[in-house]
Amino acid sequence: MEKLPIEIRNLKAGYGQTVVLEDVSMDLEHNDFLAIIGPNGGGKTTLLKLILGIIKPMEGSIKIFGKDVEDGLRHIGYVPQKGNFDNRFPITVYDVVLMGTRNTKGLRPVYGPESHEKVKEAMETVSITDLAKKTLADLSGGQLQRALLARALAGEPDILLLDEPTASLDPQMKDCIYDSLKRINKDVSILIVTHDIGVVSSQVKRIACLNRRIIVHDEPLITPDMMNLGYHCPVELLAHGIPHRTLGEHDHD
Amino acid sequence: MGYPTVPWESMTMTDWSMILSISLIQNMFYATLMASILCGIIGTYVVIKRIVFVSGGIAHATFGGVGFAYYVQSVLLVSWFDPMIGAMVFAVGAALIIGSPRVNQRLRDDSTIGVLWVVGMALGVLFINLTDHSVVQVRSYESILFGNVLLVSTQDLQIMAIMIVVILAVVAFLYRDLQIVTFDEAHARITGINVTLMNTLLYVLVAITCVFVMNIVGIVLVIALLTMPAALASMFSNDMRKIMGLAIVSATILSLLGLVLAIEFDIPPGASIVLTLGVFFMISMGIKTLHEKGYIS
Repeated sequence: MEKLPIEIRNLKAGYGQTVVLEDVSMDLEHNDFLAIIGPNGGGKTTLLKLILGIIKPMEGSIKIFGKDVEDGLRHIGYVPQKGNFDNRFPITVYDVVLMGTRNTKGLRPVYGPESHEKVKEAMETVSITDLAKKTLADLSGGQLQRALLARALAGEPDILLLDEPTASLDPQMKDCIYDSLKRINKDVSILIVTHDIGVVSSQVKRIACLNRRIIVHDEPLITPDMMNLGYHCPVELLAHGIPHRTLGEHDHD
Repeated sequence: MGYPTVPWESMTMTDWSMILSISLIQNMFYATLMASILCGIIGTYVVIKRIVFVSGGIAHATFGGVGFAYYVQSVLLVSWFDPMIGAMVFAVGAALIIGSPRVNQRLRDDSTIGVLWVVGMALGVLFINLTDHSVVQVRSYESILFGNVLLVSTQDLQIMAIMIVVILAVVAFLYRDLQIVTFDEAHARITGINVTLMNTLLYVLVAITCVFVMNIVGIVLVIALLTMPAALASMFSNDMRKIMGLAIVSATILSLLGLVLAIEFDIPPGASIVLTLGVFFMISMGIKTLHEKGYIS
């Protein structure tokens, strides 16, 4: 049987004495497009850090294609939040994307012709070829987001992790990013973490809600259970942006 | 009874051909040139990675090393353990502590730096106080803190030249990986770079630079040479390699100019170099601002 891209079992994690995640089990399947939603402080970022091996779980396990995180990392392309970057950093878009092709272990990787080929391909996929020579300071939010996406793609990952890929982008740009992602999804399993409930449910295959614990739904549906777990607040407000969905009757407590 | 001769009355013009033939002065120029090259390269990382405070902490920790060396010299009578070696031990030690993940898990990194900074200084004062001044000739605090280019020996220059070659080789060899770590540590980790090792390496390079540069402009003013040329250069370029080049050129020209002014007006060279850099830094800021507002093209 082929191994799942990501398999998380009974995960418990946190910082010092504080437990942030408890009993989290979930899978990312082949060609999956899973969105994890949840409130701030619900553990979304912690979960990403665990998958990327930046922090270690207290209990439970994470397997990437059946391997431990350290060995599985080379399958992953990670698109961080664009807000984490110093936009005055002196680097061109091309050099940012080139970073993605460094996946050989070793003291000093060589960037050969095939690396530059991959960079060109990745930039075409997200249509930023014309930005190659621009520096970060010249980019709009959407352009930077696509440059980071291209960087992840240049490493030819089997799994793509995205942290708030559409935060503070205008609606057109959001659609543009999701169009790119849908194309990529033919070969790559995608996991995104987002607040953006409105856009997400119409674009992804499955949704999970994370707030210390996790509820995974096999359809792109935000269920009343998720709302209860995640938000404890009037669902109408949140459901407003979700077309063609009906939420069942439920209590707010 | 005549009036005592005042230097500027006896000399209408500084006799530069005479001054430049003195080997101490020549050494001073070479040392300044080499310090500029070192600071242009390492300073670019310091400025872009925003670790000016790290370089400040390391630079000040060297004071402890200088004092320690004097103390060891006076007690054990080992003349080879000179202040430069003591400074190197303390600076690299501080760099390793700041880069240590065990320390970083327990302390915020700027707290670590603050502790090393003051403890280093205090140790320096203590050791110099304990040193038997009749056995070892101790440099004045002012000379240690604000530099004395006249004390640079030919041997110092040779060691410094070797260090420049080594540092250039390391930076050239690891250029891309250093770029990745400086830009995005999370991505660096995923692509298999040992981020802790790279950061520590960078801190050690900063430490080595601090030790050599402090010999010239002194501990307090190391930060000036590490920061100002690179910050100046980064105002005018968005390309890391160009910033390095521009930082080297501006550091060289401005620090040599500072040195010339120091000799001409008989002011302390360290302060003169830093103030020259500072004045040009502000002028550049002004020009840049006017340019951005469209007053000049």
